[in-house]
Amino acid sequence: MAELKSQLATYLAHRLPHAEELEVTAIDRIFGGASRETYRFALSYRTGGETVSRRLILRRDPPGSLIETERAVEFEAYRAFFGTAVPVPEPLWLEEETHWLDYPFFIMQELHGFESSPQLIIAPPYAEHANKLAQQKWTILGEISKADPAALGLDRVMQPVAPERCWQRELAHWEKSLNEDELCPQPVLRAAIRWLRRHPPPPAQKISVVHADYRTGNFLYDTAGHIHAILDWEMAHLGDPLEDLAWGLNPVWCWAHDGRVGGLVGRDEAIRIWERASGLHADPAALRWWEVFSSVKGQAIWVSSAKEFTAGKNQDIILALSAWLMHNSQDRAMLAELGHLS
Amino acid sequence: MKPDIDRFLEVATVHLMTQIAPALGTGYEQSNVNIMAMMLMAVREEFDRAAARRVEENRALRHLFGDAAPAVRDTELRQRLETAAQDEDTSFTVSDLERSNGVLRGLLIELHAHVEELDSPAARRIEADIWRELVASTERRRLMMGPF
Repeated sequence: MAELKSQLATYLAHRLPHAEELEVTAIDRIFGGASRETYRFALSYRTGGETVSRRLILRRDPPGSLIETERAVEFEAYRAFFGTAVPVPEPLWLEEETHWLDYPFFIMQELHGFESSPQLIIAPPYAEHANKLAQQKWTILGEISKADPAALGLDRVMQPVAPERCWQRELAHWEKSLNEDELCPQPVLRAAIRWLRRHPPPPAQKISVVHADYRTGNFLYDTAGHIHAILDWEMAHLGDPLEDLAWGLNPVWCWAHDGRVGGLVGRDEAIRIWERASGLHADPAALRWWEVFSSVKGQAIWVSSAKEFTAGKNQDIILALSAWLMHNSQDRAMLAELGHLS
Repeated sequence: MKPDIDRFLEVATVHLMTQIAPALGTGYEQSNVNIMAMMLMAVREEFDRAAARRVEENRALRHLFGDAAPAVRDTELRQRLETAAQDEDTSFTVSDLERSNGVLRGLLIELHAHVEELDSPAARRIEADIWRELVASTERRRLMMGPF
């Protein structure tokens, strides 16, 4: 950690050439986040006779990543939504050169003192604010779905896609990932992929920014039931807005085991809030396709986490936990979405 | 082995969660130890049933293949199903059972894709049997800490 602290101080001195007495302190790795190593740290320096102190987050590429993602896309998503109705931390610096910290990284503002755990949100003191949190959670997703990617400048960094091609692109992407990383045969998953190809959804009603990991666990909330930031945009892309809605509705995020999606409200209420906020319609047949797809994508991620850990490319314990904890539940979610498990 | 393995894992889990993790303060290392303790709980759950669930599933799949083979139109696939149906596990180490389970589940994928393309009452019956077996396979693998 001492080496990283020193490297960070050197980099920040380069980025802040007028800063004096620049110091990096309290650097600490944050658990979770299998696609990037995440650290919090404090930065202080003097400039113009004043002392500046900031708490910051470093997101650095690991040697092996659970999800192969473009850090520039993640950084630009934060930049695009900062200061809008979609709360995000302020992104500060993106660095793709590897000589500073050995791997590419970016730095953003730390929002301190909030919680993100999907298990804690279903317990006191947060549980009493479930409805309030749900209203914000699904309204914010509606804002993301409603937003114009071109007006946000995201069409410059995210691959374009035609409305009728959204489903094919996403399915092909995750099927390829599965084919590359599968360690043992996956009969439920393969059956679900065949079903998806036999029952294509209608074209997307609009091309939206898709967060692609929008769920309880990826936003910061407080004890008064306020959401302060949407995090983890590493898989963000352009696509069908129903992809995000379906992902958030997936049964594997029902940690309270009571049918409330993301531990907050029932599925119908979540859809209603999203429709009202986005001005879009969740066509049941189309949404069903995207829900089955969300389980295929989830399973592809858990399969990759098992592969990464087994191969020794990245032996962060979160990869083994993800694979063990989620794989069978994701198969059961797929069976339920396909109508074979009640 | 005495003490029994499940008892050791139980004690080790409690020790990690109540003694080791708190001594590390908060942060990345403590979270890692807590997760390892959780995973020991899963190992404890899986250890006792590891061979039994694989033996049960391999038998169920071989039985399903024997029932399905006469309706399969692809000659080569039918022969492989018949051969698999007559096979049996002779080694009961978990690694050997896992290996044969992988072969059988690979064959199940082929059978499932094949019967989906057939238009006959027999094909629909086999398909229903496959879905029942897939549901059963997830019951065998359920972990207490799994979310669904």
